[in-house]
Amino acid sequence: MALDLLNAQLLRALASRFARLVLLLAAVAAASFALMAASPVDPIDAYVGGDIAAIGPEQRAQIAERWGLNDPPLERFATWLSHVARGDLGHSHTFNQPVAAVIAGKFLTSLALMAVAWCLSGVIGFVLGLVAGVRRGRWADRVITWWAYTLASAPTFWVGLLLLYVFSVSLQWTPICCAVPVGTVASEVGLLDRLHHLLLPALTLSLVGIAPVTLHTRQAVTVAMASDYVAFARAQGERTLGLVIHRVLRNAAGPALLLQFSSLGELFGGSVLAEQVFSYPGLGAATTAAALGQDVPLLLAIALFTTVFVYVGNQVGDVLHAWLDPRIRRLKEVR
Amino acid sequence: MTAVLVGVGVTGCAAGVDDAGSGAGKPVPKELRLAIGGESEDGYDPTLGWGRYGAPLFQSTLLARDAEMNVVNDLATKHTVSANGLVWTVDLRADANFSDGKPVTAEDVAYTFSIAARSGGLTDVTALAKAVAVDNDTVDLHLKRPQSTFVNRLVSLGIVPKHAHGKDYARHPIGSGPFTFVQWDEGQQLIVQRNENYYGPKPAFERVVFTFAGEDGALAAAKAGQASMAAVPAGLAKTAVPGMKVVPVKSVDNRGLMFPYVADTGKKTADGLPIGNNVTSDKAVRQAINQAVDRQALVDGVLEGYGSPATGPVDGLPWYEPSSAIEGNDPGKAKELLDAAGWKDGDGDGVRERAGVKAAFTLLYPADDTIRQGLALSVADMVKPIGVEITAKGVSWDVIDKRLHADAVLFGWGSHDPTEMYHLYSSTAAGVEYWNPGYYSNPVVQHNLDAALNATDQDVAAKYWKAAQKDADGNGFGPSGDAAWAWLVNLQHTYFVSDCLDIGKPQLEPHGHGWPITAGITGWRWTC
Repeated sequence: MALDLLNAQLLRALASRFARLVLLLAAVAAASFALMAASPVDPIDAYVGGDIAAIGPEQRAQIAERWGLNDPPLERFATWLSHVARGDLGHSHTFNQPVAAVIAGKFLTSLALMAVAWCLSGVIGFVLGLVAGVRRGRWADRVITWWAYTLASAPTFWVGLLLLYVFSVSLQWTPICCAVPVGTVASEVGLLDRLHHLLLPALTLSLVGIAPVTLHTRQAVTVAMASDYVAFARAQGERTLGLVIHRVLRNAAGPALLLQFSSLGELFGGSVLAEQVFSYPGLGAATTAAALGQDVPLLLAIALFTTVFVYVGNQVGDVLHAWLDPRIRRLKEVR
Repeated sequence: MTAVLVGVGVTGCAAGVDDAGSGAGKPVPKELRLAIGGESEDGYDPTLGWGRYGAPLFQSTLLARDAEMNVVNDLATKHTVSANGLVWTVDLRADANFSDGKPVTAEDVAYTFSIAARSGGLTDVTALAKAVAVDNDTVDLHLKRPQSTFVNRLVSLGIVPKHAHGKDYARHPIGSGPFTFVQWDEGQQLIVQRNENYYGPKPAFERVVFTFAGEDGALAAAKAGQASMAAVPAGLAKTAVPGMKVVPVKSVDNRGLMFPYVADTGKKTADGLPIGNNVTSDKAVRQAINQAVDRQALVDGVLEGYGSPATGPVDGLPWYEPSSAIEGNDPGKAKELLDAAGWKDGDGDGVRERAGVKAAFTLLYPADDTIRQGLALSVADMVKPIGVEITAKGVSWDVIDKRLHADAVLFGWGSHDPTEMYHLYSSTAAGVEYWNPGYYSNPVVQHNLDAALNATDQDVAAKYWKAAQKDADGNGFGPSGDAAWAWLVNLQHTYFVSDCLDIGKPQLEPHGHGWPITAGITGWRWTC
């Protein structure tokens, strides 16, 4: 009986979150389409580029027809919407491929990059924050805080270029471009090759996320360390290491976790830049190409995809935070 | 044109050494790596425009252009044009096979042209009415209207196999070209393999890898010794890269100043955009500016030496008329022209006036283009002493689109196809797209342009193209005639090339830096 009630509650919560997601997607799609429609970039001009003098009006008409640009915007949006409802995301003219195939291909590459960067920034950021918070005011704290502020104010692409020149050009430890070794056929590319190519872009991307996690964790640790229960435990003779593991860790993990999950959007934005610098062919690079070429179906699909990605990330963060910190759960029940 | 040997570094290496290599005894590397960009994001299907620059690699074309830009046979053994210019008959060679072993037939050629004519891609074959395979090795291409420039479709359209041209062709191309497709990692690299069954001269390298890492990436790859060639912007060409030389390649990638040709009478386009400018509509002003600019100084100052003075849109191509050029850089003559036309500085402010109109106008350039910015600002400085005031303004293309019929604009063009020249100066193209934004029109020039387009023989066409620039009576759109534009410079495209790689004599490149260099790739040799 109680289990049924719990299940019903869970279902209702899921349904409400799902409904919110659908509404959000609709709003994102409409807004993105409106922005694209209002954009001054002419898709045919963008496609034709330097060949503009060699392409006559008849040919332009053919291009417009191939892409279905002749219908009024509202009609195009409606057609697109009805196709999406049937599961057809359309055809990307930039890549001359179905949108679903483009996203599937590029996302797998991006996912590896973002996952590694995300884990790195979470772990490094949390550990640094912990050390800084525990050693508050000492030299370790000062160095870490200074480092965090430096990272927070350094643009990703600049850090990327710097790393590229130091490690790839000067030291030649890491490759200059791409996700696979140059000149090697796919069947001969091993896991180690892929990791080798992933290393520098992932490191660059992780730098975006480290600073906020470090600074928030440091703050949470400081608060916990100053609390009565830590003072009490210390009075009972508990050492600093034990204090951190038993009393502080869980308290400090909440903000870090929440922040980490809500940073998925920034992670995605950062990946656009990192992929550009390292010629890493992920979804970020595809987004740039789609935007510059006014590839409406692809750009809309990427916008929707990112929305789902970020939304799910935030929801997972929410749930995990509640699980980690019972006070949050109780707060919700009261509400 | 023949007198000028292209590239300073090339000649030193062009010893004509054979594949086997000399001296050091090191074998030719099996693999050649090039960082010259040029990825075709929508794949490698010629009917969508792949291969219109440089080499189509996988496919071959009916005709080709040699280093001097002469039309030579490739898949075709002969082509003739009917007297009315409407039927092009092409005879094919019999020994050409696709990389899947099947022969290249007239059927394939007819199919390729028919598909390209309605594909909505980046190759304009809309002049084609129908393509008919007469027999196994003869094709008739029927045109809707005579078009001498159709020869460029025969030069640039790679032939695809009818039996294997499906949905995924663009990602798995099959053709009769010098290379076969191995692998394409999108956004990263293209790997191609030498086609051992190619009918033409075989490339020296078994495998070629093209990396698509952008300009920074290309330079980084060159510095790290990971590429035998890298396309870099001229601004970076001064960097020293060990083991590599800088090869500047001449181009018709030109930059010039487009003048609104008609006076401002309040007329507007169908979209309500203003047309005309009361200063630039005066021939004396246009000619004076053409006289006053020091083009060599622009090359040295703005292009850092990587370029040449430009006086027309087709400098150095077979249809260029050298006598249409002017020496330029003669402010004295410019002042005379303005004085004679009645432009005088009455109020002593350094700017001339005539009938209450100041000799001043705005010059627009796309703000994100530093070369055009440099050119615009320099030109403004150069015409100041002759009493003409140019206000150079960096704006977005959006603004240029609205003002291009009323303000001067710094444009860049350059094509191997004289169609572009036709569009820039034909009154039929006035106000269409970016073609003839100044509404230039001259019946004599128009007559020559049309005669060139309608010609059935390329030499006759070239004669009329030349006459459009300057004819026997001195008429023409060139700087010595109507001076419809003030052409400024032709860029040189700069490449880092390995000291061991001999790329022969490159073609004069069109607008677009990078991929066009592959036009001669089958002739590249390793010399170490």
